[in-house]
Amino acid sequence: MDRITLPERPEWRAKAAELGFTFADMHGEPYWDESSAYAFTLEEIEGRIEDPCTELHAMCREAVATVLADEGLMERLGLPRLRWEFIRDSWEAGEPELYGRFDLAYDGKGPAKLLEYNADTPTSLYESASFQWLWYEEQVAARVLPEGSDQFNRIHEALVERFAEMFAPDTDLHFAAMAGAPEDYATVETMAWAAREAGMGAHYTDLEKIGISDQGQFTDAEDRVIGTLFKLYPWEDLFADEFSAHLASAQCRFIEPPWKALLSNKAILPVLWQMYPGHPNLLPAFFADDTKGLADAAHLMLAGHVTKPIFSREGASVTITAQGRVLERATNRDYDRHPMIVQGYAPLPVMGGMRPVIGAWVVGETCVGMGVREDRALITQDLSRFKPHFIEG
Amino acid sequence: MKRSRAVSLGILGAAAFGLAACQQEEQTDAAAFPDEASCVAAAAQSGWFTREDCAATFAEAQALHAETAPRYESRELCEQEHGAGNCGGDTVAGSGGGGSIFMPLLAGYLIGQALGGGRAMAQPVVPKAGGGYATPTGGTQLSRLNSTGKMGTAAFAKGPTTVGQPPMTRAAVASRGGFGGSAATRSVGG
Repeated sequence: MDRITLPERPEWRAKAAELGFTFADMHGEPYWDESSAYAFTLEEIEGRIEDPCTELHAMCREAVATVLADEGLMERLGLPRLRWEFIRDSWEAGEPELYGRFDLAYDGKGPAKLLEYNADTPTSLYESASFQWLWYEEQVAARVLPEGSDQFNRIHEALVERFAEMFAPDTDLHFAAMAGAPEDYATVETMAWAAREAGMGAHYTDLEKIGISDQGQFTDAEDRVIGTLFKLYPWEDLFADEFSAHLASAQCRFIEPPWKALLSNKAILPVLWQMYPGHPNLLPAFFADDTKGLADAAHLMLAGHVTKPIFSREGASVTITAQGRVLERATNRDYDRHPMIVQGYAPLPVMGGMRPVIGAWVVGETCVGMGVREDRALITQDLSRFKPHFIEG
Repeated sequence: MKRSRAVSLGILGAAAFGLAACQQEEQTDAAAFPDEASCVAAAAQSGWFTREDCAATFAEAQALHAETAPRYESRELCEQEHGAGNCGGDTVAGSGGGGSIFMPLLAGYLIGQALGGGRAMAQPVVPKAGGGYATPTGGTQLSRLNSTGKMGTAAFAKGPTTVGQPPMTRAAVASRGGFGGSAATRSVGG
């Protein structure tokens, strides 16, 4: 793993604007940054990222079965008891998963360590699957990158194949995101493109415009019944919304399926550590009130520990502590009221003054691609930059 | 090779004119105006609509507003959806079911080029609470008037008739918008 300075494509900003990538700059800072890129070897990609993440996903599926069979663990996940049956039914019915993103700390030396699994509402799909791919193709054409190099990015093709496995041809799928967040919309529209390529009918609706029909089915902004809903909106939030009472009876299939609520939850991290203690890709993790577990594992967390709420997005309410001192505390504390977990601290490598996090994409049950985000801060938050990567030839 | 052979590249962007929708519907030239005079003022440069189109579509938008604008059982409920001061009594005499009925005022109209020729299409727009405008069904939304761009032809589909129908109650209004209330941050992704 290396961070290499490369010439930028001269016209990339115009290209981004033309393609609708309107958030290439965000909050007055560059978000897409191709002034340098991360280089990996093929052995590294396959042995350290791809195969471990496919295995991690399989372990996560085992963890879902374990949690569903254990009421005490279900309690730990902080999801309303009224919806447990709905979640369990989706697992027992074998409702297939579409996608997810593992966030990994990887320094090019030891094994990649799982920080968390964005198993329900991962974003940055457009920049990973599409704009990053275009960057690679154009840099090869410009001879900036050599023939014989590659990129770990089968995300788009894998999504097309997965949609075709999940649904009969011409199935109508609805895609919903909250209005007014272009980065969320880009993920949803990228997904909708893949669905259309797989032969599905893809329709967009703002999440807030979803209604309920006289027969108790969900309807879109134009009153069409929603048979299948891809919702870029967390399950724990859906469960707290007014319409949650209709979820089980609306005859609607959801993507991601409800059981993904167990995996996007940080409470799954201590469960995984209980099931697979010492696994090379896991960090020790405990519920914050598990004082005995934490005391027994003190020797495993000498580098420090990280406190995270079970529900959180984009690093909110995360605190890193080492030697009894707070190293960094996220400024966004929106999730402070939730139960916490404690995870061993795996410092991110520092490369060119930045700290990269690997986002490894899982489609279906297989790891199929990746993206890198980097941040100056210890906690990767919403001001991080997206960096392209390539595999050396 | 560990990458896709081909990838679809474009995203429309949520900031596009009107509501960027994914469905593959036909796009047409469209413009939004607060009144007929603004339309007439823009007709010379437009190339696809005339002063006569402005007059005809404005009359049609007024008629569609009377026929299809949402109707509410109270002014309070109407203003909750369309903003304070933006509602009035039913404009169609004698249509009420005995009680009083309130509807949003006509804020302007959309004019659209008919695909394959023919008369320009029209739709009324009404104010939305919190700013912006929408067609009577709410299916197409605009951030501002006096704007032009491409728009899906579905924006010009006539909404259901509301005149003479019982007005919406609070329960009926609440049957939309039951999701989205719990998002902790503006962007929900991770």
